Amino acid sequence: MNLIRYLLDNINRIGENQPLIGKFKPIYKALDDFFYGTDKVTSLPHVLDHLDIKRYMSLVILGLLPATIASIYFWGWRALLIIIVSYVFGGAVEVIFAITRKKDIHEGFLVTGLIFPLILPPSIPLWMVAVGIVFGILFGKEVFGGTGRNIFNPALVGRIFLSIAFPRAMSAYWQKPFIGGLGGFVHYQNVDALTKATADALTYATPLNLFRSGGELPSYYNLLMGFSAGCIGETFRIGLIAGGLFLILTRIVNWRIPLSFLASVLIFSFIGNHFMPSRFAPPIFQLLSGGLLLGAFFMATDPVTCPFTRAGKWIGGVILGFLVILIRSFSGYVEGVMFAIVLLNVFTPLIDRIVLDIKYPKVVK
Amino acid sequence: MPKHVAFRGGYRFTNFQGQPENIIEEFFVPNIVRIPLIQGFGSELDCLIKVGDRVFAGQIIARNDQNISSPIHATINGIVSDIRRINYFGQNCAIVTIKGDGSSEYKKIQEKPANWQELSIEDIEEKLYLSGVSALGYSGIPSQFNSSIIKPNEVKNIIVYMSDSDPFNISPELLFSDKSVQNLYDGVIILHKIMPNATVYIATSRNYRNILDGLDDQLNKNDWLKYRYLRSKYPQNHEAMLVQTVLKQKFPYGYSSASIGTIILDFQSVLHVYEAIVESKPLIERTIALCGSAWQKPSIVKVRLGTILDDIVHSRIKDGIKPRFILNNLLMGTELKDLSLPIDRSYSQIIAIPEDTEREFLKFVRLGFRRDSYSRTFISNFLPLFQKEFDTNKHGEERPCISCNYCEEVCPVGIIPHILSKYVKRSIIDETLANLHIYDCIQCGLCSYVCPSKIPLVQHIKEGMEMLTEQGCTRDKCILPHFDNILGIVDSYRGAKEI
Repeated sequence: MNLIRYLLDNINRIGENQPLIGKFKPIYKALDDFFYGTDKVTSLPHVLDHLDIKRYMSLVILGLLPATIASIYFWGWRALLIIIVSYVFGGAVEVIFAITRKKDIHEGFLVTGLIFPLILPPSIPLWMVAVGIVFGILFGKEVFGGTGRNIFNPALVGRIFLSIAFPRAMSAYWQKPFIGGLGGFVHYQNVDALTKATADALTYATPLNLFRSGGELPSYYNLLMGFSAGCIGETFRIGLIAGGLFLILTRIVNWRIPLSFLASVLIFSFIGNHFMPSRFAPPIFQLLSGGLLLGAFFMATDPVTCPFTRAGKWIGGVILGFLVILIRSFSGYVEGVMFAIVLLNVFTPLIDRIVLDIKYPKVVK
Repeated sequence: MPKHVAFRGGYRFTNFQGQPENIIEEFFVPNIVRIPLIQGFGSELDCLIKVGDRVFAGQIIARNDQNISSPIHATINGIVSDIRRINYFGQNCAIVTIKGDGSSEYKKIQEKPANWQELSIEDIEEKLYLSGVSALGYSGIPSQFNSSIIKPNEVKNIIVYMSDSDPFNISPELLFSDKSVQNLYDGVIILHKIMPNATVYIATSRNYRNILDGLDDQLNKNDWLKYRYLRSKYPQNHEAMLVQTVLKQKFPYGYSSASIGTIILDFQSVLHVYEAIVESKPLIERTIALCGSAWQKPSIVKVRLGTILDDIVHSRIKDGIKPRFILNNLLMGTELKDLSLPIDRSYSQIIAIPEDTEREFLKFVRLGFRRDSYSRTFISNFLPLFQKEFDTNKHGEERPCISCNYCEEVCPVGIIPHILSKYVKRSIIDETLANLHIYDCIQCGLCSYVCPSKIPLVQHIKEGMEMLTEQGCTRDKCILPHFDNILGIVDSYRGAKEI
């Protein structure tokens, strides 16, 4: 503790005299902020809430933790390596921008850097992870001016970039998860499954692929526990539900979007399934397949990019549910959550504008 | 069963360390008092005395029947030693210093108190005015004298409230220590006598419901008397929130509740009314709560007005703590920097919390047994056994807004602080701000309190209002057209004191 203080103070002192080291001020400033609370005092109001952005972001990571640990169990230690690559390259972009802009490093990338690998297929090459996160943070966030000003969810920008640039790697192979015993905790990667997958892709298809091709669907229990193919972090659904409810309980995530999103997915798929059972999957299956739960609890609720008005959150959730069912049932893509969320991000300013105009009619012209 | 009334938003401060203990401590009669000639609202009074005069406690030393004000009394027996002008809370104001002889007697307003029920309305009003009690409350008690901006017969509603919505509260049992609920009821009757057209609402927090137990008969007897329960969430004590919840009326934000014919008084003020009329006691002392964790023993003291703060604070602060003193309200109150200033009749709490400049190691991962947060990210939200603590640390670095919407969720008046703040920060000052109801802000400070990005939202909104007024889009243009029942609005009425 004292050693860290000593080191930070020394670096700070050297930085003041040496312009070269001084350039890296955002880095050691961020470390300083990370390890120690602030010494600033309030003006008015005289007291402030104890919650700060660091804790806010770490709570989101805590909510993702069950799914992250489960991902190592299902996909082997390579999953952790993917997360590390994502953090290293994502963090590097953040740091470079902070240095060139001479601004503080913001904590937002801690969440982006974890969500991004969780929505990738487990067999993705590591260099692609790096390309994706760099693209996502650069064009999803930094070009708009950094945290708080971005229009799109940076993790989804990276993911969509990858699925358009490398469609084969992103949707052709799906690994079979390790199940039973210590699972992936004693393996690096399920190589066996990978070689087989090229020969017989359908065997390890995701549940949504199976529905599209008319295969036998996994049971709801298997879907909940994660015994199915899919992206790294989306399959352990019971953990996602627990994490999401935890975040709603702690008020980190606003409950309105997940509730309206999931409810409208149920309603729209129920209606669709009633009339066209071959096109629309049944409601509960929709809920438990693909990235719906991960998207509803952790990505659609990103406060920066979702509507901020209360009514806008309800409307946004319904739009999301509608889009997800539409894309899953009619488009060439089997999965629609990420496109739905990015489409909602586009409409967010419009929704908020309309809600504000209705809520606050003109007092003065 | 009284009706429960509440407003949307707000925040409940519960279980904080530093609640005053339930004992009233009689403070000794000070040897020296300083009496400012502006106290609370109203304009400065004409001084009736000069240096060297002998004065007695209860003697009127300043009055002005032309402007809106109530007389001010000497609060101890002694000799006027000094009259000088100082800067008192941003106002240039004369302050009278009296050196006392230590005796505790005071002179009653009228030597022979008649049975109060036989007093005529004019007599009651005069007594109330001469006692100085008519200066209490958010906008004073109207009388035939200029003690409030409206006349007694224009008053439509009187709200008498007692709630536990602030972080620190005086318990009602304590206020009634040498009085009874019957006295409160008599006070209410007196008020209704002066203002016969008014409906009186007694509004208390549900936790205090048993204090009015003895009053059931009287409550049911009068159809001008109504009873309401308040939710204990901050800022219920603000006049705007009281009007909206109790009366279900729109409030002209930024103006006084008197301008829509509503007089708001707390229990203590009503007991002062009783004292003035029945016991002929001038307003020379007040019961003040010393709360907050920096006091050695948070308590309640009965002090003479004009007692110098330092006399009270002296030796009551915990050792080794640098305290910050705050007047009346933890979120909106003024910081008391100069302890040579006296206590005046607008005081009800002196809060002392420790200044915390310590940089705590790995602060953001602490469990937080004693930390308060709007979010439920600290364990204290689930463990009511631990008392939470206030300090003045900012608890985080300032960061860009992430639109987490906490500020909108807690805002009691239904505006969205974070968009207003973004407009003001980018210097986009135009009618948009007025259309987003920037003038509705009552500056309760909750949005700044809950913000995880530590953005000073209240300051931004305040700046925005000032800049907007400079541009000509004033409060009058935005608020007043929506009210046809505004009674009298005097710009200088509030003086320099913000609401």
